[in-house]
Amino acid sequence: METTTTPIWTSAGATIRYTPEHRFDSETMRHFVNDVPTVLHCHHYATLFTQLATDAEQLGGPAHLVEAAAEAFYRVLSEYLESHEVHERADRIAVVEQYFAFAGLGTIRFEIGPRTASMVLPHSHIDEGWIERWGVRDKRVNYIGEGYVKAAIAAVLDLADWHHVAVEETASIVCGASASTFVASLEWQEGRDGN
Amino acid sequence: MVIDRVKVISDLSQLTVSGNSDGLIPSYGVLLQQLPASFWNTFSERMLQAATGDLRQAAEVLLENAAAECGYHTGHGIVNSKEFEAVVAPMIDSHPEDMLHGLYCVFSSWGWADASIVDLDPGHRMVVHARDYYEADILSASAPCAFMIRGVSRAFMDLAYGAPYPDGLGRYKCTQTMGIEVGDPHGEFVVTPL
Repeated sequence: METTTTPIWTSAGATIRYTPEHRFDSETMRHFVNDVPTVLHCHHYATLFTQLATDAEQLGGPAHLVEAAAEAFYRVLSEYLESHEVHERADRIAVVEQYFAFAGLGTIRFEIGPRTASMVLPHSHIDEGWIERWGVRDKRVNYIGEGYVKAAIAAVLDLADWHHVAVEETASIVCGASASTFVASLEWQEGRDGN
Repeated sequence: MVIDRVKVISDLSQLTVSGNSDGLIPSYGVLLQQLPASFWNTFSERMLQAATGDLRQAAEVLLENAAAECGYHTGHGIVNSKEFEAVVAPMIDSHPEDMLHGLYCVFSSWGWADASIVDLDPGHRMVVHARDYYEADILSASAPCAFMIRGVSRAFMDLAYGAPYPDGLGRYKCTQTMGIEVGDPHGEFVVTPL
């Protein structure tokens, strides 16, 4: 009897390194990382933005935070993968894992299958920043991370759109878990590269 | 000695920042992150579009408060950092006024804005001009919306003239009187006591 195995893609075996090319424009005082305007902020700023989003749930605050993150990161990651001609799936996953750490958002590991994905975050800037500021709480806070996961999966799989990547946070450092975890269900059509 | 703005910005803007083995950037007494400017602007823009009437004013206050908290805690970390001690402190003659000028050099070197103090009445009034800033990229602005510069500016005044850290935040307010995002040649921010 013939059996099939569902593939799981990870960064295992990848040798590529994400290479940030930093430039400071002394005329405008703006920083660019790989030509993307980038700014430094602290955990107070990020967690207060998060608190603003959660307080304004009736205005769609959490969704705005997720979407703003997904839009920004999808562009950054997709353009990097394309311009650096990163084609192998393990390499593409390695890049999105390394960018997350470079940006100071924590550490993240992806396991991506054809229709589902799971992510583990041993460290999370948002969660640990929240704990630093306010302590633990019983509700998740990492909406920026959720947006990042949507963007990263869409970029890795060369999807034209991150909107069809549904993401759920299943455990949170801010709630006392040893690591945050996300699962994703992948509702995409065929990818741009036929995947 | 006056603060050598060009030198301070040149020295501090070249520092390479990257997450450690935990993907975190602990520095200046806080956890930093470096994200695309478009992320912050898009969220602010969406929240302002969603909030109407009284809610709009509340959203503006919260966006400015986020920046004030950031500016207060990170600013304290900056002026007590070895980088500030090495680069800016030797230029400080008049305290805390030169410290304030130095903070705006750091402010600029971090990519927040090309901003500097153009008028300072110690403890009473500070006027800041920003010739460029990332919040100027908010295209849908119908009113000045550089909440980050507003919040950080009043926080810097608190650091200079308020009660000792961490109890000094909240003695000043900042009014944005001009904005690139609404067609002015630069942003103008006036900080006065509450």
